[in-house]
Amino acid sequence: MNFVIVLVALLGSVWLLAVVEGWTTTGRLRPAAPLLSGLAHLGRESIVPRTPDRVFFETAPVLLLIVAVLGAAVLPLAPTLVIADLATGALFINAALAYVLVALIMAGWGPNGAYAMIGGWRFLGQLIAYAMLIVMPITAVAMRAESLVTTVIVGSQGGLWNIVYQPLGFVLFFIAAMALAFRAPFDLPTAPGELGGGVDAEYTGVRLGVLRLARLTLVITLASATTVFYLGGWHGPLLPPWAWSLIKTLAVAVSMLLAGRYLPRIREADLMRWCWTLGIPLALLNIIVVGLLVLVVP
Amino acid sequence: MSILEQYGLLLALVLGIAATVLALFGIARAMGPTRREPGKDVPASSGVLSRDPVWGRYHARYYGYALLFLAFDMEMAFMYPWAVVYREVGLVALYDMGVFLAILFLGLLYGWSQGALRRQ
Repeated sequence: MNFVIVLVALLGSVWLLAVVEGWTTTGRLRPAAPLLSGLAHLGRESIVPRTPDRVFFETAPVLLLIVAVLGAAVLPLAPTLVIADLATGALFINAALAYVLVALIMAGWGPNGAYAMIGGWRFLGQLIAYAMLIVMPITAVAMRAESLVTTVIVGSQGGLWNIVYQPLGFVLFFIAAMALAFRAPFDLPTAPGELGGGVDAEYTGVRLGVLRLARLTLVITLASATTVFYLGGWHGPLLPPWAWSLIKTLAVAVSMLLAGRYLPRIREADLMRWCWTLGIPLALLNIIVVGLLVLVVP
Repeated sequence: MSILEQYGLLLALVLGIAATVLALFGIARAMGPTRREPGKDVPASSGVLSRDPVWGRYHARYYGYALLFLAFDMEMAFMYPWAVVYREVGLVALYDMGVFLAILFLGLLYGWSQGALRRQ
């Protein structure tokens, strides 16, 4: 039963995010637009490029969708509303999200097109920049919760949310999550207007539809992870727990969208320099500060 | 739910998504055939075939970062179990990991001073 509820909530959030995204781009609020364009993708021609690596080309969109949903499967909406409450939840989500890179390299390599390949290699560089800023803040979260179980992590924030307890970790994780979901201003692998679509360039029709669905799902998964690790998950007054989880998740997803709309795209070299010379020292500082707080404050 | 059941559920999720996507592909195919035309399947590169082979060697200009990344990525394998028992073990855990992190951080500083944190 949890299975169905969580998946429906995930799909619903994806739909709402797609509506908001359409609203900010076209200026019109059209709730049916994501469904219609999804249907339209089914009817369009899905071209396979001339000399593809067929296995990579076909696998990439499916793999991206699978890892996004697997990540969401260990994140709780309410104390018992979670698909798999793994003992290693916080580690599992890292393992699942590592495959985003694999999927994008496959999508870049598969079609044998120049723009796609450049997009794929760029994302490899982007991974080297953001990866540490995903895992190090989660370590600090696990230190406070004394557990990797995601429901316990949310439970540990009952008194004080992690965004107050470790604001530095939140900022780093939020930025890294945007880079991981390749949202603007970190949309280097797709880079609309510069790379001709990058890894998206050779995908058409139903394959492109799956790829876009996967990308939106990934954004929701990461917003949900931010909620679980930093914004107190289901904690909140009046409304039922699942409603708070969904509201916070959507708020994070929309704030990622808005942040991207007002910032210029960052260069890969600049992103890596900032992440390594500023981000990683700050992430280490965050671990030490949280370590002291955990020992001093009972 | 036992651990095995949970992983079974995750596996079912993977298979279910793959089956759903295959069903979507089937629906798209059932919409009817498309016309075969020459040139339609040329990868996007401003309308011409790309001059150089795409699957060639790519100069990964971020290799300096990549080498440092390996060291830090290994470190994270130790950090997760440490984080779970941290409060239990107490101050000793902070000292131990502090020394470990300090050595790694010195490595980062050394690499930085030698120009590793630069697009080569």
